Amino acid sequence: MVEDTIIAISTPIGYSGLGVVRLSGKRSLHIAKKIFKPNKDKGKIPTRSPVLGNLYDFEHKEFFEEAYLTFFPEPNTYTREDIVEISCHGSPVILEEVVRLGVKSGARHANPGEFTLRAYLNGRIDIIQAEAINDIIKASSLKQAKISFKQLDGILSKKILSLRNQIVHLLSQIEASIEFPDERLRISRNKIVKTMKNISHTVKRLIESYDLGKTLTEGLILAIIGRANVGKSTLFNSLLKKDRAIVTPYPGTTRDYLREKMKTKDSIFTLIDMAGIENAVHPVEKEGIRRGKKLAYEADGILLLLDASQKESHEDYKLIEKFRNKKTILLFNKNDLPQKMNIEKIRKIERNFPSLKISALKGTNLGKLKVMIHELFVPAQEQDEGIILHLRQKLLLEDILACLVEGKHLIGEGYPEEICAEEIRKTIPLIGQLTGDIRVDEIIENIFSRFCIGK
Amino acid sequence: MNFFNEYDVIVVGAGHAGCEAAHAASAMGLETCLITIHLESIAQMSCNPAIGGLAKGHLVREIDALGGLMGLLADETGIQFRLLNRSRGGAVQAPRAQSDKAVYRLTMKNWLENLPKLTLFQAIVTGILIKNGRAYGVMTLEGNRLLAKSVIITPGTFLNGLIHIGLKSYSAGRANEPASQELSEYLKKLGLKIFRLKTGTPMRLHKDTIDWSRFKAQPGDENPVPFSFRTKKDLENKIVCHIGHTNSKTHEIINKSLDKSPLFSGKIRGVGIRYCPSIEDKVVKFPHHKRHQFFLEPEGLDTAEIYVNGISSSLPLEVQRDILKSIPGLDEAKILRPAYGIEYDAVIPTQLQPTLETRSIKNLYLAGQVNGTSGYEEAAAQGLMAGINAALKIKKREPFILRRDEAYIAVLIDDLISKGVEEPYRLFTSRAEYRLFLRIDNADKRLIKYGYKFGLIKEKDYEAYLRKLERTNRVMHFLIKEKIRTEDKDTISLKDFLKKPEVRFKNVLEYKKPELSLSDEEVRYIESEVKYEGYLKKQAKEIARIIKIDKEKIPENIEFKKISGLTREVIEKLEKYSPKTIGEAKKIPSITPAAIVNLHIYINLKKKKNQSIKMFHVKH
Repeated sequence: MVEDTIIAISTPIGYSGLGVVRLSGKRSLHIAKKIFKPNKDKGKIPTRSPVLGNLYDFEHKEFFEEAYLTFFPEPNTYTREDIVEISCHGSPVILEEVVRLGVKSGARHANPGEFTLRAYLNGRIDIIQAEAINDIIKASSLKQAKISFKQLDGILSKKILSLRNQIVHLLSQIEASIEFPDERLRISRNKIVKTMKNISHTVKRLIESYDLGKTLTEGLILAIIGRANVGKSTLFNSLLKKDRAIVTPYPGTTRDYLREKMKTKDSIFTLIDMAGIENAVHPVEKEGIRRGKKLAYEADGILLLLDASQKESHEDYKLIEKFRNKKTILLFNKNDLPQKMNIEKIRKIERNFPSLKISALKGTNLGKLKVMIHELFVPAQEQDEGIILHLRQKLLLEDILACLVEGKHLIGEGYPEEICAEEIRKTIPLIGQLTGDIRVDEIIENIFSRFCIGK
Repeated sequence: MNFFNEYDVIVVGAGHAGCEAAHAASAMGLETCLITIHLESIAQMSCNPAIGGLAKGHLVREIDALGGLMGLLADETGIQFRLLNRSRGGAVQAPRAQSDKAVYRLTMKNWLENLPKLTLFQAIVTGILIKNGRAYGVMTLEGNRLLAKSVIITPGTFLNGLIHIGLKSYSAGRANEPASQELSEYLKKLGLKIFRLKTGTPMRLHKDTIDWSRFKAQPGDENPVPFSFRTKKDLENKIVCHIGHTNSKTHEIINKSLDKSPLFSGKIRGVGIRYCPSIEDKVVKFPHHKRHQFFLEPEGLDTAEIYVNGISSSLPLEVQRDILKSIPGLDEAKILRPAYGIEYDAVIPTQLQPTLETRSIKNLYLAGQVNGTSGYEEAAAQGLMAGINAALKIKKREPFILRRDEAYIAVLIDDLISKGVEEPYRLFTSRAEYRLFLRIDNADKRLIKYGYKFGLIKEKDYEAYLRKLERTNRVMHFLIKEKIRTEDKDTISLKDFLKKPEVRFKNVLEYKKPELSLSDEEVRYIESEVKYEGYLKKQAKEIARIIKIDKEKIPENIEFKKISGLTREVIEKLEKYSPKTIGEAKKIPSITPAAIVNLHIYINLKKKKNQSIKMFHVKH
């Protein structure tokens, strides 16, 4: 255990109804008692239940705020140390005064992420769990928070542990055959190759889950595509429920592209509005279109907007053709106007695309559109097997995969087992780095300095 | 005052550890006394009649490169030689030899008797003389005192040894040899923590009562590979071993008799060895195995005794007989010595320094099985290191501590003192982080310089090594320079050609021959260096990085208690030993890798703060 006691405001800075200052360390209660005087002076401070009292400025010998104090004795706390939480009104002035008095009484300002660092150092959580805590705090969607919560619960750690067990099992089979050559423990090359293939597959799937994880943290990118003046910016504004893009009845109003986050249900999307794809006169416009096209190709999905009040044109078909290989929703806009487009014909041609008649201007069917977006782009069920959310985790897994692939190659090419074993052995410290079993300074510094103060 | 004598070094126990320790200390010029309970059992192989094997054979090579005896003697007294794992790469090949036990014992005794600075002495040591926390001699059962500047204790299984056969047990260090009871009590009194271990040995059979036609012969190698770099004579296979199997009937007998087993009735409390289990252990723990393999190994040329490698047991004699009856070919076999289990005291090895000197008592060294290891080779390696370090300390020279990337000896000792043991410790090649470096073909390259420096390797042997180095360097240069066209019409160097998995050095010779021809030993070295080259280069970098971190200084004014996440125990240890570098901190027992990381982070943060780089900004 560490000797010093740390203190910090654990609620976001700003005015709010409630604010919490937290202490962790051996002297937490001792220090807190200097600042906080319970209303019922007699009797000890109970554990794990709030006590009403007043905050006391021992320098000016005066009370300055009503507050609750809760004492959590070690080891069953977040940091595995004694923790005291003081809740009072969420005024930055008051909260900072509590921290100042705490420091005067012997506490130290907590470094960013230090509460979590202590939880980690005291062995309460592993690195993946520590990262998950950060993710929950910063979650931009409920879905992400849910995944992070599962990781905090150890789902990913367990998955990786099982991966580690498979690798250790294979390695011990190979090692046993090397160490005891007289004992007929030989494992065949085919068996090694096969097992390594299976393990590699698991690693690959985890690596692939990063993309899914990314869509849940940063949001999938959806590009709104269509000819000029089909109402792209109107749809953009309606979906965001704000006047973000400038809308005029004149084609070519949008010259550059715009991007904004949009929430649907418990997921997050980045919506991109761009210039009509076929009209380019002005150089600025041209550049806008060029960038927009690039973005459209890189987007995770397309909202292809057609003007149903116009007859379908060659350009419309070209657009549909262009994005044939992308996840696309066909939108027949302006259904508030007389319909001239042969919608059924287009639907017949492009059976794979789901489609919907909407009016971006009137907001018709936009609720349905959001449901459709959700169904098409957010994977139907959560991957219970663990999703990786961090580039750090992905890079480590890629290193692990590289070792496995190399080892498999070597053994397949006829190199001796001990060389293949060398590759497999390399994966174990890498897995250790994933969960923090074998700890590497840089990783820990990196991870823990990213935390905001508090948790 | 009784019989009185003064030495530089006293070694207590003349097993494999004691012999190496006594030899090293005396060969380094110190007056040494080797005390044994029984002069006839010097260097007795208490268990199997073999030396070497994976990791163990590596150890013997290393002992040899440092000037120890085991390799020379194993070659001298070997009666069958094999190089294991010939089908694999050089890093996991190791020699193993069947020894003539009696000849080994006598040869060692003879060798030691002729060392000018060494005195052999038969006595039972009952206590260690200590003054002001320093050992200065020993006391014998008769009440004699022998004085020395250093004392090395190598009692093997003799500390409070308790032999079990069935539910009967009696005090002994080895069958029919007295255990050393007082010494164990004495070590406890000195404050050393003792724990209990268990091992066992199989029965010995009369060779004429075995139907040899029922077993498959396992001959030695056609071209035996010696253990020692210094062995010049051609080695000769004089015996064959045989392979047999137990069967379901055997297992049935064992399962029915478990109530008579001291292991399963709870009588034996010591922790047994997983790597060398008794037959009853194997049958109980692996019920799905229909049969277990065993080897019939002659104990020597002039004896009828056959060692049944694989059927160690502590079941009663009548069950041992039934076991043999169930195995065709052994059904008529006569038991000359029964199998038995033995429990003994060992000292928790985390109480030792890397030199094998105890931390609490100066000038007292412990080596061998008493430190929780099993195996002759593990014992010998520790004995050698204890002997060298005791001598160096008396000569006021730097201690001799090897790194884990330098030698299996270091892996062994470092594991013992930093991790401790929970069961008898056996070395494996997989315990080494840098296995491809630690090979039998480069043991001399790794270690002979030290042996030479300490005076344990003779001038002529060192020169022979330098010539070998020169020759292999020249051939390596040749391989790099000379190019060939392969079947795929690529032009590649001979070295790259040799890298291919299916190509051996002899295939290279089919294309081009260097001007000098290499010995088999030199060829093995070249092949390993070429085939592992990529790995060796990468790992060398990694090793250099670790050495750099190990050298990082811990500031003198550091306050360990300010470091986050250290347990009170760790803080106390750090304060007590006040390590000067990260490397030194690593060597302190019960300092976990996590604690080292926290220490390292703290030091680096401090450094950064001193360079006025603000790592953390604190919100108010």
